[in-house]
Amino acid sequence: MRRWATDTFYASLAYIVASLLTFEVLAPLQNMFFAEYPSRASLLFLPHGVRVLAAWLLGWRAVFALLPGVFVVFALLGGSDVFLPSRLMAIVIAVTSVPAVFYICKWVGWDLFPRPDRKPCWACVMAVGIITSFLVSGLTNIAFGSARAEYVAFLIGDISGLFFLMLALYFAFRIADKRG
Amino acid sequence: MTEISKLTELRKLMQSMERTLGLEQLSPVERDIYYAAEELSKSDDEVRTFGLIEHTLVQSVSRPTFFRALKSLVEKGYLSQSGTANRGRYIVHAPK
Repeated sequence: MRRWATDTFYASLAYIVASLLTFEVLAPLQNMFFAEYPSRASLLFLPHGVRVLAAWLLGWRAVFALLPGVFVVFALLGGSDVFLPSRLMAIVIAVTSVPAVFYICKWVGWDLFPRPDRKPCWACVMAVGIITSFLVSGLTNIAFGSARAEYVAFLIGDISGLFFLMLALYFAFRIADKRG
Repeated sequence: MTEISKLTELRKLMQSMERTLGLEQLSPVERDIYYAAEELSKSDDEVRTFGLIEHTLVQSVSRPTFFRALKSLVEKGYLSQSGTANRGRYIVHAPK
């Protein structure tokens, strides 16, 4: 039970921090440098990286671990609109898609979940992130009924968000190791 | 998986990016031995050469290559020989 609470705390916290960074720091920069881009969606969406890494590490438990964080972020962005059916649907899509893709991959014989006796494959995790991004972008656009430019922006944002989050984590570990 | 092993797995994933991105500090064999040592050190403070050489990640490595890589890991500070015990026991350190 305590492990569940810890997983939920860290996964949701990571999602909220990644979302705040994306919307409060990166989005204003994007608006400054890509002002002519028609979509308001982020081109560097770090929360997708959190979703993918949480699902990779926690499996189906990531659904419940991410749920509070995803709900808080949707509530911060949309206020009471968070209870609209389209938003609730988007929340469900956000938390379930990545674990579902990992389990489908496992079911077809491509088990990517971490195991102590083998090396993880970051490119494979990236691939699942990209597959899921197509899925989430498509489903979210159906839920919100948005334009094609939004769909493309979601895709770019998710894929670059996952890559740069992993890169940032890599350097964070390296810095922590040097200081430790 | 415990909290520490989640961090270890995450760290292993990040390290797997190294080679592709040209950021690596260790050779593939050194890395495998280090992964194995990290894994084994979770259950015991010290890692024995005997346990290391039998680890799944290291089984295919020839003995001379294994011992060369082990020596290199000690020189680079990833492993150190245990001061209190017999030779053949190592303490695992975080990469510098």
